[in-house]
Amino acid sequence: MIVTPGSSTHTSSRVVIPFYVYAALCFLLSAVLLLLSADVFQQHYFHPKILAITHLMAIGWGTMVILGASHQLVPVICEGKLYSEKLAYVSFALAAIGIPILVYGFFTFNMGNPAKWGGRFVVLAFLSYLINLGKTIANGKSENVHAIFVFTSVFWLFLTAFFGLALVYNFTYPLMPHDSLHYLPLHAHAGVVGWFLLLVIGVGSRLIPMFLISKYSNPKLLWVIYFGINGALISYIFIFYFVDNYIWTFVPGLLLLISILLFVRYAYQAFHYRIRKQVDDPMRLSLLSVTMAVLPIFLLIVIIVSMVVAAHEKTNVVLAYGFMIFFGWITAIILGMTFKTLPFIVWNKIYHNRAAFKNTPNPKDLVSSLLFKAMGLCYIIGFVLFIVGVLAPVSIYFLQGGALLLVFTAIFYNWNVMQILWHRPTP
Amino acid sequence: MASPNTMNILTNDEVLCQQALAQLHHVIDPEIGLNVVDLGLIYELHFDEDPKKITCRMTLTSQFCPMGDVIVDSAHQALQQALPHHQAEIQLTFEPPWSRDMLSAAGREFLNR
Repeated sequence: MIVTPGSSTHTSSRVVIPFYVYAALCFLLSAVLLLLSADVFQQHYFHPKILAITHLMAIGWGTMVILGASHQLVPVICEGKLYSEKLAYVSFALAAIGIPILVYGFFTFNMGNPAKWGGRFVVLAFLSYLINLGKTIANGKSENVHAIFVFTSVFWLFLTAFFGLALVYNFTYPLMPHDSLHYLPLHAHAGVVGWFLLLVIGVGSRLIPMFLISKYSNPKLLWVIYFGINGALISYIFIFYFVDNYIWTFVPGLLLLISILLFVRYAYQAFHYRIRKQVDDPMRLSLLSVTMAVLPIFLLIVIIVSMVVAAHEKTNVVLAYGFMIFFGWITAIILGMTFKTLPFIVWNKIYHNRAAFKNTPNPKDLVSSLLFKAMGLCYIIGFVLFIVGVLAPVSIYFLQGGALLLVFTAIFYNWNVMQILWHRPTP
Repeated sequence: MASPNTMNILTNDEVLCQQALAQLHHVIDPEIGLNVVDLGLIYELHFDEDPKKITCRMTLTSQFCPMGDVIVDSAHQALQQALPHHQAEIQLTFEPPWSRDMLSAAGREFLNR
């Protein structure tokens, strides 16, 4: 293949960076809200403030940063160009408007105009993203298991948002036979398993070996994981609607556990066969997040057991389960991967034509290692403290202390992100 | 007739090849921090005299490397600087795929640190 210099297939950094900035600010706001609302984590999980924080974390933080990174990475995975940068701007604008309105609606528990309008904007944002990614994958030169993971996950994202909007409507018009709380597990798992888990595995299975300089690849194993996760989700939906015995939810739970453990094995193999021995801090945190994906599944099994044996939910375990997903696994992978992907995007913008010069810094030089270490330390201690506070609700200080450290985590994260974005070329 | 030199790079002109490699040593894979020569990304440097042309057959550590076009553009720029009277052309190939065996001794030492 003859390559013409300058024939870049990269998505413009102008498209990608707003997603990162928006997500970073949402993470900071979520952590502040967590600190100010720490006491509600000793109550029932269906609480306006918890709904607001969860959606700010899930959409504002997790989804926005993934949307930004995927506009850059999916064309690389598919060996093509992003179908439309204009549509990417549209997705950003719609989501950026919709998220605060939706979160305000939840925070004040106003399921009228704020939640409905916020939800409408978010659904349209994800629809435009689904079209953009679908066309990009269809036009790409390479159709591979990673692209299929990504497309399926975006499809689940759209379904999750659409169903979520229906649940908002269900508060004011009885669209469904039961109240919205009844359908909450369905909405939550479609988002967490269908969107986040599939997307993280689809992209992570490509990025982890690449950043470790590992030649490990196992598409067959990835297909098994793909069918395992989708099978778990579809069987869960079937059981939810048609089976009246909670014990059957062990089936999707176990399918999920096996799929995640297979991905842990995949990541371990990539690590084992790496060519570069030294693993940098962002990669260490990303690898830690892979193992953190297993933790919520154990809590899920505890929840199912308590439902089968005692026929009631342990509220604090459900809260810890949700916290482990959003502030645990999803946050850990983003904290790690941001400092692998964002420096590349900024570096590529500034130094693309100077890469062959001796004094050109490497992308990793754009990241402050000190800020990253401080962020990582605050994050791990804050996360553990908060989990202890939720699971053993003996003192509010565990929750407040944990939340305060998570605020520091978000401050260090934002500081480091802004430092990368404000990087100026060396003369 | 092209034959492999001490760096295992196929070439038909050892003198021009060394000139080109000296410049390619400055092209760094931004993620790894190692130059493309010690990484073993350069498979062949072929020189034509009429018209003056240098064809570089090279690879990347991964087919999906997001920095691929930066590395290729930089290699092109380096070849033009090394041999300004030659027209440089890059042929990107993934056959054979890059592996650990293609690293130079210095590259192996760098990655084992």
